[in-house]
Formats: sequence, C-alpha cells, structure tokens
Amino acid sequence: MENGDGGGGLLRELQDLGEKFKVDDQDEQYISPYAHLEKATVLQEARVFHDPNIVRENPRKCCTVIAQLLHLQNTGQYMSSVEGTEVFFGVTKLFMSDDASLRRMVYLFIKDVAETCQHDDIIIVIQSLFKDVNSDADLYRGNAMRVLARIVDAAILGSIERSFKQAIVDSSSLVSSSALVAASFLYDSHADCAIIVRRWITEATEATNSSNEMVQFHAMQLLYQIKQHDKLGVTKLVSQYSTRNTLKSPLALVLLVRYTAKLLSDEAQTGRSTLIKQDGSPAAKQGYLFLEASLRHKNEMVVYEAAYAICNLSGVEPQDLSPAISVLQLFLSSPKPATRYASMRTLAQIANTQPRVVSKCNEDLEALIGDSNRSIATLAITTLLKTGSENSIDRLLKQISAFLTEIADEFKITVVRSLQKLCLTYPNKHRVLVGFMSNFLREEGGFDFKKSIVASIISLIRQVPETTESSLLHLCEFIEDCEFTRLSTEILHLLGELGPSTSAPARYIRFIYNRVILENAAVRAAAVSSLAKFAAHCPSLRSSIMTLLKRSLIDEDDETRDRAAISVSILKDAMIANPYVAPTDEDEADDIPDDVPVPGDTAAYVLLETLPMSFDKLERSMTAYINTPNNDNEITFDVLPIVEDTAEEIAVASEIIDPASVVYAIPELANLGRAFRSAPPVMLTESETEYVVQCTKHIFQSHVVLHFNVQNTIEEQRLDNVTVLIDDSESTSFTASGEIACESIKYGESKNCFTVLERNNTDEPLTTNTFTCELRFTVVEVDPATGEEEGGTFEEEYPLEDLEITTSDFMAKVTTPDFRKSWETLGNTNEVLEKFALQFKKMDDAVAAIVSFLGMQPCDGTGTIKPDAGNKPHMLHMSGAFVTGQQVLARAQVAFDGTNGQGQVILKIAVRSEDEAVSRMVADCIH
Amino acid sequence: MMVLAPLMPKLDAILVLGSDGDRLAGKYYGDFLKTGADENTSREEARNTFEKEVQQKIGGIVARSDAAEVVTVRGKTIVFCGGSSQGGGGDVRVVHIGPSNESELVLAHLCEGMYEALAQLMGGTTERTMVLDNLELVFLLIDEHCDGGIILETDGSKLASAVLLRDGDDSGQDPHHGGGQPGMAGHAQQQGMPSGVNAGDMTLGQAFRQARDQFLSGGM
Repeated sequence: MENGDGGGGLLRELQDLGEKFKVDDQDEQYISPYAHLEKATVLQEARVFHDPNIVRENPRKCCTVIAQLLHLQNTGQYMSSVEGTEVFFGVTKLFMSDDASLRRMVYLFIKDVAETCQHDDIIIVIQSLFKDVNSDADLYRGNAMRVLARIVDAAILGSIERSFKQAIVDSSSLVSSSALVAASFLYDSHADCAIIVRRWITEATEATNSSNEMVQFHAMQLLYQIKQHDKLGVTKLVSQYSTRNTLKSPLALVLLVRYTAKLLSDEAQTGRSTLIKQDGSPAAKQGYLFLEASLRHKNEMVVYEAAYAICNLSGVEPQDLSPAISVLQLFLSSPKPATRYASMRTLAQIANTQPRVVSKCNEDLEALIGDSNRSIATLAITTLLKTGSENSIDRLLKQISAFLTEIADEFKITVVRSLQKLCLTYPNKHRVLVGFMSNFLREEGGFDFKKSIVASIISLIRQVPETTESSLLHLCEFIEDCEFTRLSTEILHLLGELGPSTSAPARYIRFIYNRVILENAAVRAAAVSSLAKFAAHCPSLRSSIMTLLKRSLIDEDDETRDRAAISVSILKDAMIANPYVAPTDEDEADDIPDDVPVPGDTAAYVLLETLPMSFDKLERSMTAYINTPNNDNEITFDVLPIVEDTAEEIAVASEIIDPASVVYAIPELANLGRAFRSAPPVMLTESETEYVVQCTKHIFQSHVVLHFNVQNTIEEQRLDNVTVLIDDSESTSFTASGEIACESIKYGESKNCFTVLERNNTDEPLTTNTFTCELRFTVVEVDPATGEEEGGTFEEEYPLEDLEITTSDFMAKVTTPDFRKSWETLGNTNEVLEKFALQFKKMDDAVAAIVSFLGMQPCDGTGTIKPDAGNKPHMLHMSGAFVTGQQVLARAQVAFDGTNGQGQVILKIAVRSEDEAVSRMVADCIH
Repeated sequence: MMVLAPLMPKLDAILVLGSDGDRLAGKYYGDFLKTGADENTSREEARNTFEKEVQQKIGGIVARSDAAEVVTVRGKTIVFCGGSSQGGGGDVRVVHIGPSNESELVLAHLCEGMYEALAQLMGGTTERTMVLDNLELVFLLIDEHCDGGIILETDGSKLASAVLLRDGDDSGQDPHHGGGQPGMAGHAQQQGMPSGVNAGDMTLGQAFRQARDQFLSGGM
C-alpha cells in the first residue's frame, strides 16, 4: 500500500479493483483490508487525506481508510483526542472530492466522531455541510441534514431553518425522511432546538400525506414528539388520523395505536372513567373503536399492537378483552417465533390478573410446551399453571416433568414459583404438587434451583398448614443426600421448629441424628440444636435424645460441642425437676396428658422461647437506634425504636439506612429526638414539571418534619434559598414552627429543605389535616454551559399540590407473630366497634383501601382475598404501633352487599389497644 | 399492571456477530450498559461482557432470515436472524437489541429487513469472511437502517439500494432490482443523483470476486 502512487496507473485501469487486487497479485493470498489492523498504521495511512492528488484521483483508497478507522473504533481501539482531531482535520479536506461514495463515508465518519470529539473542532465542517444541504443532489441533502443534526446548536439551526422546512416536504422520500429524522433528533437534543423544530409542524403534517411509508412513519413520530405534552393536540392528532384512514405504513399505524393507548390510559388515570367503552369521553370512545378496528388490520405488527393496547387498558371487562385474546390465540400458532413470543408474553401477563379469560387458549398453550424457543415454552407452562383447572393439574404435571429435565435452571426456577402459586390456589392438590417439587429435589440441579424448591416448600408449609407433615418428610429425605450446607442447616432449623408439634415427632429424630454423624461442622451444630428443641418440647423423648446429645460432647467442632453442652446441662436439670412419667397401659386414652412440658419448665423456656423480635428485625431496630441522636439510655427491648415490617421496608433496610437520617443530620432538628416513622415519599408535582418536589413526612412524638426533596430541571436557572411555605391557618392541630431552607440547587440536582410542624396538643385526637403548599425560591439565571451567573435574580413562587397528614401517618406497620394470641391478651376493655357501608364495587379494592386508611400491617396473609373466594365475607387482621408506642390491633369483616342494586361493601371493624382514645381514633380513620 | 409500549421507538443497539459471538460490526445507541455497571470497567469491556451473555443465549439457535428469534438478556429484548452453521443462510447473525416493552414483532420486522439487505449486499450469503471483507458496506447499511437509535428504513431491498447509492424509490416498480446483478450504470444518471456516482463503484465485494476470478483464470 505504500506505493499507492506508483500503482496509480494500474488502479486507474482496473478501477474497481483497488489495492486489494494488488495484494492478491503479490502473494496469491487474499487478505481482508480489515484483518489485523493496527491503529498506528491506519493513522499513518490517513495522511493521504492531505494529498489533493490522491483525494481527487483515488477516492476509493480514502474510502477504505475511513472504513478502517471506523473499524478500529468498532473494535475498541479508540483514538486519543489528539489523534482524533488530526484525523478529523484530514477528513474535512475530503469535501474537495465530488465522489459520492467518498462523501458518504465522510458523513459517516463525522457522525461517529461527533460523539467523542471536541465540539469546537467539529464546527469547522458546518460550511461544507451547509453547501450540501442546499445542493440539488438528494443524496447529499439527506445525509448532510442527518449529520448537521448531531452538531448544530439553536443559533446555527435557525440560519438554515428554511432548508429543513423545504426538505421535509421534498418529493424525494430520502430527503424528506432524513429531514424528519434529523428534526426528531434535534427536538430531543436541546430545548432551544426544540423551539425551532416546533415551528415545522405544518410541514410535518403535510409529510404524513406522503405516498412513502417511511416518510409517513417519521412524520407521525415528529408530530407526536412536538405535541406530546399538549393534551388537546394529542387528542386531535389521534382522532384525525384514526378516522381519516390515510396512513398506509404499518409502522406509522403501530405508532398511532400506541398514542391511542396512551391517551386512553391517561384518561383512565384522571379517574373520570374506568370503563372507557361505556362512559369515556367522545375522543376516548373513538380511540377505543380505532383499537378494535386495528385488530382486523392485515399487518401482524398492527394487529398485535392493538391487541396489546386493549389488554393493557385499565378497567376493561372480560368480554371486551375477548376479541384481543382471540387474535393473540391465533398468533400462538404462527410460524414466526417473534409473533409467538410476543403474544405468549402478553397472555402470560393477562393470566396474572384474569386467568379465566386466558383459559380458552389452554390447548394452544399446551402445544407450545414443545416449542423450540425455551422462553416461549416456559411462559406457556407458567401461564397454564395459572389458567388450568384443578382437574387438569395431574396431566399438566406429567408434561412438565419431561420438559423440566431439559431446560436451564433459570427457567426451572420460574416454573417452581408458578407451582407454588398454583398450590396456594388449589390447596387440595398439595400432596401432588409438593410431591412433584420434592422429586426434583432429588434430581440434578444447581444451588439456586434447589434453594427455590426448598423456599417454595417452606413457604407452603406456612401458608397451607396441611402440607406440614408430608413436606417435612420430603425435606428429611432431601437432607439425607444434600450437598448444600446452607439448605441442610435451614431445613434442620425448620424441623426443630415444626417437628415437635407434629403427630409423631419421634420419626424425625433418626434423620436429624444421621446428620450429626455424617455431616460437616455447620450442619452438625444445626442438628444438635434441632435435637435439643425436640427434647425441650417433648418430655417423653428427653431421655433418649439425651443419650444422642451426650455423644456430641466430644465433637471436634467448638460450636457443636458448646451447643451440645448447653443443651445437655439444661435438660439434665429440667429432667430432675420435672421427671417424665410415662402413661401406663391402664390409663384411658382421654386421660393421657399431652406430651408437653409442664408450665415453668426451664428447658422449654431456655431452648424454645424466641427473642421478642426476629434477628433481622433486631438488626434493623439497632441500626435505627444507632442513627438516632441522644441515645444514652441503656439498651433494652423497650427503648429500641419501632421498625416497620412492610416488604419494602425490609428490602430497603439492607441497603439504605433510616430515611429519617437526613433529618438527624440537621443540627437544628437534633433536639426533636428519634423519628417514630417516616411515611413513603409523595409527589407534590407532576414528574415532568420544571421543578419536581416530593415530600417525606417524618413523624416525631410532638412534631412532624416535612422533608421536601426539590429537583431543578431548568438548565438556565439556579434556585437559591428554597423553602416550602405551608399554610397552617386552617389547621387546629398543627402550627408551622420553623423551616430550614436549601441554600442553592443547580440544574439537575435535587436537594432537601425542611418545614417543622408542631402538634398544638398531643392529647387531642388526630384528624386529617390538609395544607396548601407553595415552593418559594430566588431564581438566579446562569449560563448552562459554564454555570456562571448571568443576568438578574428574581423571587419566584410555585404552587404545589396539597399535602395531607392523616392519622395513619402516625401508625407504624408492625406485625405481630401470633395475632390471635395478641388479640386475646389485649382484651376488649378498650375495644371500639364500628360498622360502615363503603362504596366499592369490588371486595379487593375495599380491602386494599381499608389497609391504606388505617396504615396498619395486614397479618397472616389476610391482606389479599383468595382469588376463588368469590363474594364470601372476608376477615382482615391488622396490627400496628401508634405514635405513643401502644400496640393497636384491628379485626375487620368485609362483606359484599348487592341488595340495593348498586353493590356496596359492608365493613364491621373492631379495634383494640391499651387506650380507648387511640382505638377510637383508629376506627375513625375509615371514611 | 402492564407497561405501555414506547411512544418513541428506539433501538438500544445493532450488532453483526460472527458465529462465535465476535462482533464484526455494531453500533450502540445511548449507554444502556452504563447503568449498574462497575465504574472500573471500560465501555469496551462492558460491551464485550454483554455480548458474551447474548452469545450464550443465542449461540445454539439458528433463525431463518424471515423468522427472527427472540431471547431476553438483562431485561433487554434481543431479536436476531441468521447463525446457520453450514451452507444456506451463512453463519453471521444480525442482532437487534431493544427495550423490554418494545413489541417483538416490530423488532423482528427491523431485524429481518436488515438481514435481507445484508444478504443482498453480500451476494446472497452472509458468511463471516464475506462480511469482514465488506465492512464498509455493513457500516453504511447500519447507518441507512437506523440513525441515533431512530429507525430510518426497514425494507431490505430499499436498504441495499441505498447503500449502493441507487435510487431506492424505484425499487417498488422493479422488485428484482436490488437482488440481481449489481451495478447498472443507467441508475447513476437518474434524477437527483450526484455526478460521479457509479453503482459499479460500490458493489465492491461482488466486483472484486468477479474480477479476481477472471484475472486468475486468465492466467495472470
């Protein structure tokens, strides 16, 4: 290649053959121009760009070098910024050549480099690009506009606006599409460019009439982009194009379907109508008709999009879903995997909430179990497990077992989870289902797969107590041959907990003792603890277990030995104090006392009583305690902060500390003490507004700290001295007693400011208080590029949505281990009973609303209604801790009453606590 | 309950992978790999790891040119064509990566269009060596197909024509236009085409082969 000049004659003769041919000539071996490229060599080659002769006479060579440069970028051999700049200047020289192919490569290169290069360098090609935009060659015009979109700012764009507008309506589809795509790109790139692009709306509208499908598509895309925040504009756009029927491009129709779906979902969200078909606005009704009509379009993409949109509508009735489901069902037997996949995925989603609607596809779903695409097959199975009826389970399991052996673990885990859900739906089938899962415990499989099975079985034991005995035996068999220490110890612990109270505890002892003989230290220690629990719980087994435990006193592992020693010593004392008397043969069956320890038995107390809270809760509570200021008290269970038991709270605790820690960090607020709880953040603005504000309420004994997180999304502004003004004039319970402003918030930052509300009288019952809020700040105009101040400052007020403080904010979601027991212990002295008629059409909604009104934690899985319960009355158990520290429990019976035609929900609620005033306040939360 | 499909359809990446999953060409739009990635890994490393994960899933699957296959990797929907191990379709895969809420049918439509164009450009076969020899065309193809993540053109024949600097609009009247013999000089004179465009200029891969064969058989 070094003799590119000398070979010029040959090259000219052979024209197309280029250098490659010469390589061929020399060593008979063809070598790709892109193989074994080295950056230094290519950069050296790139110097030819500076030689006008070569550029003029051998554009092909230049093309190859550019492609080689692109290939380097592509394989991660990035140019340094110095190298990049040098090559870039070389490339700009190539505009001299009129060779179209070369020009295309130049465009491509500039675009690629525009992402990494200095903006100032790139700007030098603008004149050349301007020339191309105004040339009469379509190829140059289209491409130059697409390149320009990457590099211009609003000022430059303004100067060639006319060319762009003309190009959008150009007769050449290439030019028109390029201009539209460039406009879309510009619209998102910068707010100032967006302002200019907005002026092209007439041209874009005209372009939708183009006969070219891609132009239609790009024009629709741009039109929506421009109008997306203008609700009326979008409504008009959708209704115009969905009735006029001028769009031929399937992709453009896909867009239109999506815009329609968005429109309908927005309408449903504003709460005006839940059933669009009956009582939506005219535009919404028309949109719905368009979706239905699109189901009959000839292009699959459009049909699928419409079906997906209809399934996605909120509050759609099963009979309205039916045409969409039929279409998806048809797609299930499509020869195209993507079509099967898409419809399968959508049906699987619907099956989560409306299994009965999907059940008509069951036959097709069964056929898909054999699909070559494993994702489709897995989705089919998990869906069938939701939609299948009770009597099809056995057949289904048979099909799955063949399938499960040949798929990857990740798919198996998904199937196991679905089996677990199925077992909750059909508890009668637990024997078959648990048996099926335990079969797979014995098969080959990785840790995650085995763990998911064990977790499923354990969670089923907790939720469907009938499965306990058979499941425990399955698990016992599993640990006989289990390679995973973590699973063995978990199961041994479970056996110790549940085994003693089963009908025949003795049968588990052998399995556990086998572990003591055969396993590693961790498992042995777990087994010893488990044995001790059996002994403590069942006096009849004590002497024989004693014998087993004593053997572990000489175990080589310290932990195992210690556990054995403690257990042996405690049990020995307890056996002397309360010797076990075996029932004699003469005793009547009824006279034999239960095999339980006598009251006050030391072994039972030491070995069986648990901590008042779980370890992980203790840990969370301790973390909260450490983060609290002024904690010099001695640590007892009573002074530990109350931590909540909601799933989010537990998930969050492992990563982030107490949300109230931001409050503790403010010195002025330190004397408020420890926050009782923090409510989840609420938005006080829409998420797309100029300033985004969310508020977290931190509840203290006599104060509420409102913690506002303010985000500044305006590039040209810095916000100084930001506060949120709370209007407390209408509230009798609270007075705004102080605020802490945020000094300054730059563009893109979010920072905190605080307002403290003081409770006027903590003895007074709480009610719902609503406050109007206003964001106040000083706007400082800044240069977006440098962040330096420019121009003036001015005060600004920005209204926010109202903030509500309810009684439920003062309630911590704390669960109780045994609701029934706590309920009885608390007694009915301070019980408040109430009866309400609530306007809900569905029981589920009513239950969810009651839980949210009270702000309490549902216990024993009563927070959701079983799917097959129909309209049977539902009993809801809730537990919580009030701000004063009292435990509060509530039992609520929710029943559906359809007598008056409308349908309403009757709620009978009983609230118990240690203080009648508190019980009353809680009961009054329902409204 | 469910998520709406994207209102502004955009691709996250287009990859052209060899049968072993090596990237022959590719373009990432935006930096979806950045989120959650380790600060210390470079962009290139993050891409390589991601591509390995993709290859693990698609490695054993052959997708017909008109029936793209679908898998998911890291929550992204991956749609691809190609990957035949012997003969027929060629071993190269065209892979489209899109957000999880994007319609698989749309992605498949895009992927099939680009695969068809690639096959036409490579003279009917999408073999690794052929693609590697003509990377220039592949780069141009990706650019004509998708600009900054926005879909530009999906029709295979039109894409191929656009890459070869033929006027794409007339392929509607002449359906065999893109697939058959390369380079009819007449097209260069079509309206709107700049001077100096010779279709023969651009069908490098085919022209080279043809010429080389002639050259060698001619005994030079």
